Amino acid sequence: MRIGVFICHCGSNIAATVDCAKAAEIAKSFPDVVYAADTMYTCAEPGQAAIEAAIHEHKLDGVVVASCSPRMHEATFRRTVERAGLNRYMFEMANIREHVSWIGKDKEANTNKTAELVKMAVAKLRNNSPLTAKTFDVTKKVLVIGGGVAGIQAALDCAEGGVPVILVERESTIGGKMAKLDKTFPTVDCSACILGPKMVDVAQHPNITLYAYSEVEEVSGYVGNFSVKIRRRASYVDWEKCTGCGACSEKCPSKKTPDAFNEFTGLTTAINIPFPQAIPKKAVINAAHCRQLTKGKCGVCAKTCPTGAIDYAMQDAFVTEEVGCIVAATGYELMDWTVYQEYGGGVWPDVITSLQYERLLSASGPTGGHIVRPSDGREPQTIVFIQCVGSRDKSIGRPYCSGFCCMYTAKQTILTKDHLPWSRSYVFYMDIRAPGKMYDEFTRRAVEEYGVEYIRGRVSAIYPDGQGRYVVMGADTLLGEQVEIKADMVVLAVGIEAARGAPGLAEKLRISYDAYGFYMESHVKLKPVETNTAGVFLAGVCQGAKDIPASVAQGSAAAAKVLALFARDKLENDPQTAQVDIRRCVGCGKCIRCCPFGAIKDSEIRGENKAQVIETVCQGCGLCTATCPQGAIQLAHATDNQILAEVNALCR
Amino acid sequence: MNYAYYPGCSAKGSSADYEKSTQAVCGMLDMNLVDIRDWNCCGSTPAHAVNTELSAALCARNLDIAAQQGVQKLLTSCPSCLSNLRHAAKRMEDPAFHARVDELLDNPTALKFPAVTSVMQGMAAHCDADEIGRHVRRNLGALSLAPYYGCLMSRPAEIMDFGDPENPTLMESLLGACGAKVLEFPLKTSCCGASYGIPEREMTARLSARILQLATDMEADAIIVACPLCQMNLDLRQKQAANSADARFNMPVLYFTQIMGLAFGLSGDDLGLDKLRVGADGLLLKIEQAASAQRGSAEGGKA
Amino acid sequence: MPVMQGKELRIVGFLCNWCSYGGADTAGVARAEQPTDLRIIRVPCSGRVDPLFIVKALLNGADGVLVSGCHPRDCHYSAGNFYARRRLEVLKRFLPVIGIDDARFEYTWVSAAEGQRWQQVVTSFTERVHALGAAPRIEDAKPFLKVADMALKPLRTLGTGKNAPLEKLKEAIKAKLPELECVIGWQKGYDDIHTTPLFMKSAEEVDKLVWGPLNVVNTANYLSQFKGKKVGIVVKGCDSRSVVELLQENLISREAVTIFAMPCEGTLDVARVNEKLGRYTIVNAADSDGAGLLVTVDGKKHSLAMEELAQGKCRCCTHPSAVLTDVLVGDAPQAPAAAPTPPELALLDSMGLEERRGFWRGQMERCLRCYACRNACPMCVCRDHCVSDARDPHWMTQEADVVQKLFFQTIHALHLAGRCTGCGECQRACPVGIPILALRQQTARAVEELFGGYKPGFDPAAVPPLLGYEVEEQNIRETRI
Repeated sequence: MRIGVFICHCGSNIAATVDCAKAAEIAKSFPDVVYAADTMYTCAEPGQAAIEAAIHEHKLDGVVVASCSPRMHEATFRRTVERAGLNRYMFEMANIREHVSWIGKDKEANTNKTAELVKMAVAKLRNNSPLTAKTFDVTKKVLVIGGGVAGIQAALDCAEGGVPVILVERESTIGGKMAKLDKTFPTVDCSACILGPKMVDVAQHPNITLYAYSEVEEVSGYVGNFSVKIRRRASYVDWEKCTGCGACSEKCPSKKTPDAFNEFTGLTTAINIPFPQAIPKKAVINAAHCRQLTKGKCGVCAKTCPTGAIDYAMQDAFVTEEVGCIVAATGYELMDWTVYQEYGGGVWPDVITSLQYERLLSASGPTGGHIVRPSDGREPQTIVFIQCVGSRDKSIGRPYCSGFCCMYTAKQTILTKDHLPWSRSYVFYMDIRAPGKMYDEFTRRAVEEYGVEYIRGRVSAIYPDGQGRYVVMGADTLLGEQVEIKADMVVLAVGIEAARGAPGLAEKLRISYDAYGFYMESHVKLKPVETNTAGVFLAGVCQGAKDIPASVAQGSAAAAKVLALFARDKLENDPQTAQVDIRRCVGCGKCIRCCPFGAIKDSEIRGENKAQVIETVCQGCGLCTATCPQGAIQLAHATDNQILAEVNALCR
Repeated sequence: MNYAYYPGCSAKGSSADYEKSTQAVCGMLDMNLVDIRDWNCCGSTPAHAVNTELSAALCARNLDIAAQQGVQKLLTSCPSCLSNLRHAAKRMEDPAFHARVDELLDNPTALKFPAVTSVMQGMAAHCDADEIGRHVRRNLGALSLAPYYGCLMSRPAEIMDFGDPENPTLMESLLGACGAKVLEFPLKTSCCGASYGIPEREMTARLSARILQLATDMEADAIIVACPLCQMNLDLRQKQAANSADARFNMPVLYFTQIMGLAFGLSGDDLGLDKLRVGADGLLLKIEQAASAQRGSAEGGKA
Repeated sequence: MPVMQGKELRIVGFLCNWCSYGGADTAGVARAEQPTDLRIIRVPCSGRVDPLFIVKALLNGADGVLVSGCHPRDCHYSAGNFYARRRLEVLKRFLPVIGIDDARFEYTWVSAAEGQRWQQVVTSFTERVHALGAAPRIEDAKPFLKVADMALKPLRTLGTGKNAPLEKLKEAIKAKLPELECVIGWQKGYDDIHTTPLFMKSAEEVDKLVWGPLNVVNTANYLSQFKGKKVGIVVKGCDSRSVVELLQENLISREAVTIFAMPCEGTLDVARVNEKLGRYTIVNAADSDGAGLLVTVDGKKHSLAMEELAQGKCRCCTHPSAVLTDVLVGDAPQAPAAAPTPPELALLDSMGLEERRGFWRGQMERCLRCYACRNACPMCVCRDHCVSDARDPHWMTQEADVVQKLFFQTIHALHLAGRCTGCGECQRACPVGIPILALRQQTARAVEELFGGYKPGFDPAAVPPLLGYEVEEQNIRETRI
């Protein structure tokens, strides 16, 4: 090989603590190095031109640049060598800035270290081989998982962009959490009125196929070519025939069915449509409470239904869809706040969650929009709102902020005053987090115009006073005093956690998730919508706490990513993938077992089982290479020989 | 069955009735509590507030004595003793701390101490509810009891190992096994203010009053405690508490062993009921009335 | 290029590209001053770090090796670091057995945002290595040859299988033979005190089958050659565990193999038998009294008592009966529950690090590099593609020095981690009698301790521990820096 070495001064960033000229001189003694020089700014236009010139002049077939981190400029220099006619992978970098010049002032040690890092890079480069990317076709169809407001937005934007959308929703209606809200901050406009039209658009858009009451069962494939198996759960109602008239629900004798849509603040019937604006507006039987399905006799709804849509024998069905991208928008759940024994652990009836309170406020809720106590139906006089119940609380393993509770608590206090003008509201808070547009003004309004009493401090205990009210004991940390309030009702701003089953879905999608089940974005700042699995994007609270505007924005952002990806007819893979030497492979399948991406399959070659890498799926982690005992599978550009060359350059 | 036992100083003074009733009830349950030899005060509140090493030294000496005697499990009835012994044992796991305490004691102490647990937990481990039920001679069904653990028994959770620190339920199950009606008492782990009894009398009165007021509002016949300080505070200072809350209380405050002893048919003398400031006569009367009413109806039924 | 004398030590780092390499960059950007010793090798993922890279570095002069990846759950590739955690933890527990201080190797997690933490990791690890000083090299150690006491008391009474129903077994094999390509077993060898493998294809050949303490060869070793064909195999308890492993690794299929088993009463340590008999010309007679073999060699009578001369593994055997069978002949004996530390490993346990280095130096100087150990191993499934012979990948040079030879033993031991059933064929096959089984026993012990008592060779459906992971590992406490 003929290798050229370029040692960058980076102005004084490197040269101040590294003798670059000396390092270049030492580099000339390394095997296969035919040219070595130190340059002022290698990444600048003249620096790059010098590399190109050297490649031509010295007939170089490999280049080492010692400069900043490869995370900074590897791509830059790869393009440089490519312009001069080399394969972009015939290039190596030694990081002598972040890892040398910036972290120590001993020039002698730094220069020695620089030379060694160059030696390692040269040793590796001598084992490099040219790599080329492959192209493949794209299925221009997207799967959106979750029909909350983020998923709805992503689906609508993709559909508007001309892309067919498969929208899968676990519940029988789309709308998600937003559909349960009465009003939204900071404008106090009606949630149903702004979400409703979007839901209708989903139902009517020719590019959207909606699978409600369905879940993603299996995902296989890779970016551009996913295959998704969807479980359509048995609703016991033939939705082709159901007109959503609601006659079944009126006649259903099983009237004590817990009402999940109303957050269990009321009861409903075993067959029902969750709320009037549901999309699709179709009935579903709750099998656990249906008399026909549990006891085998009733059949009232079947007799009532004018279109004969009831089917008690219905089974789960499966459909398979081929898509090119997936948007996960699975949202959140409230955490199980009953771990707070000091708040009664769920025993006291008038200590409720904010989402339950939202249903009490809603005109379509179980009380018709009247705020009354669940215990006795009386209107509360004094209401205490407690924030951060299950947020920012390390003691129960929830160190994170749930983001939007400060704002909706302010909204709920304002609505409370509107509903019950003579009531008094208290809010226990830790900090008021209101950084959004018009947000701080909104919380100020609650305090200044609505007279809500904000108390900075935690509540230590809630207990019934034995006479029908509740004593709320807390601290006012601003006054340094203890506070006791006799309340009629307590509303807990319960912290959020990832949706039920989120980790399981992440495993299917092969994306990472944190300890709380929230999905990991590819980069906290610069890739907030992408995941580490190409072609899988995130929208909404599944990635972390967000309010409605942010969820909608991320839904649109995910759609933009999908449309950008689909703007190309063919995709190119990263050629740094695993490659199997089939002569060495004994077909033991250890690599297949470990691969986090399912990128290796068992294939029969001349009657023998051999591992085969699906290059478009392989993400290039190299776990297989570290697993294969005979070294038959090698990750291109990080082969055993390349890493061994680096080790040998240091240890002999 | 023999159990190694650390009585603590209160047992020999202010809570002699706790000690008496504990011995009596445990005896009936075939739990023979044997004092470890030559034990000393655990140091209680004053010591650990001043110096953890000195405080641990007091406890470590007791633990070491127990270890030398080959004790596996050591019982104590006082939550404060329990807390101190367990804290000391925990701190002694740190070799440097252990070495410093050994120096204070002029003696290397054992590397492994026996586990320390409360008499209440020991009782529950020793026999189940049925076994307790078999000893019941008096029907407590007429009584509504408010179980009150105090702040120390279950906290800090990681040291005390007494179930949910906010909502322990062990006493409920013991009282329930004796046939009493047990109230869901929300302030069961709130502080009665005992440790501020001298410097901040007002505050102590206020905290105690809250507990007494709630028990009164919930129509409890008695508050049942497991801590000598709580008992003294709620019982002896009931009048102070009443004054601070501008209320009147007449709430008997009994140790759980005393009420269990009553259920087991023991006499007031056996249980030291004469030591109570708010007497238990009302309770006894209620039990007796209910019993005779039942007898009456049973006889009536026969006729 | 030598390390800077008296100033630096040789410390090699393997950092994943996504988190820790970024963390080191972040530290640089923040000008977080660090010791200059560390040389970083950038890898895509901590899961890419083959533990053998680390051994390679440590055997060849590295004074310390540091691996750093993404925090658990933050892996760019979802799970690479979970696998790395298991493998690196096993390595950490392996290193001391070859005389390398495990404090010279560390693995930890640093995210791209944790520049400060990276500075602290580098500083404290470098300080740690400096406190240990330059790593002593194995080839410089003073040879220390010590022999294991192999005569520990057997867990159960061993015997010669004299009363085993061999004829019944033969009948059973004959009955199945028509469906099978062949049945693997043992036959009399070149004299009465040796056996060789037997491949039975006819009833006459079945009659050659022998049973007894001379059946030392692990018949499973020949099984994977018959892949795709229907074969039978006669097994001892230990052999059957190798069969289970081969099934687990997909190298044979359950339908294609018929397992014949008879409970084993122990086998003889051939090396020690030879030692006892000395040089001899001819075996005149051999018989069994149930507790040992009575042989007449060159006209002189010897008693080869099982109690005295049984293999170490048989003394510690907890599964004399096959763990998986199709045809079981004879009654399964009561199996002892727990095994003591095997004698070879106990010997190593009794030594300090320096003695171990001396021990392996001395032993490896005797090694012929004949690879008999590898060829006898039923789990060496690479066969002709062993990395020790390859140039791509080029793990080893052909130099016959102590480091290369010990590195090969390490490759073998680590490739067997979670797979080795302890059949001891490697050691038995060694012509110069090096107790190399100890290295495999150490990996087996590490795997068992770390992964809930996992022992290879019992469940064909089990996921081998190093091919799986738990998000929360019960027995691994990883962040030590």
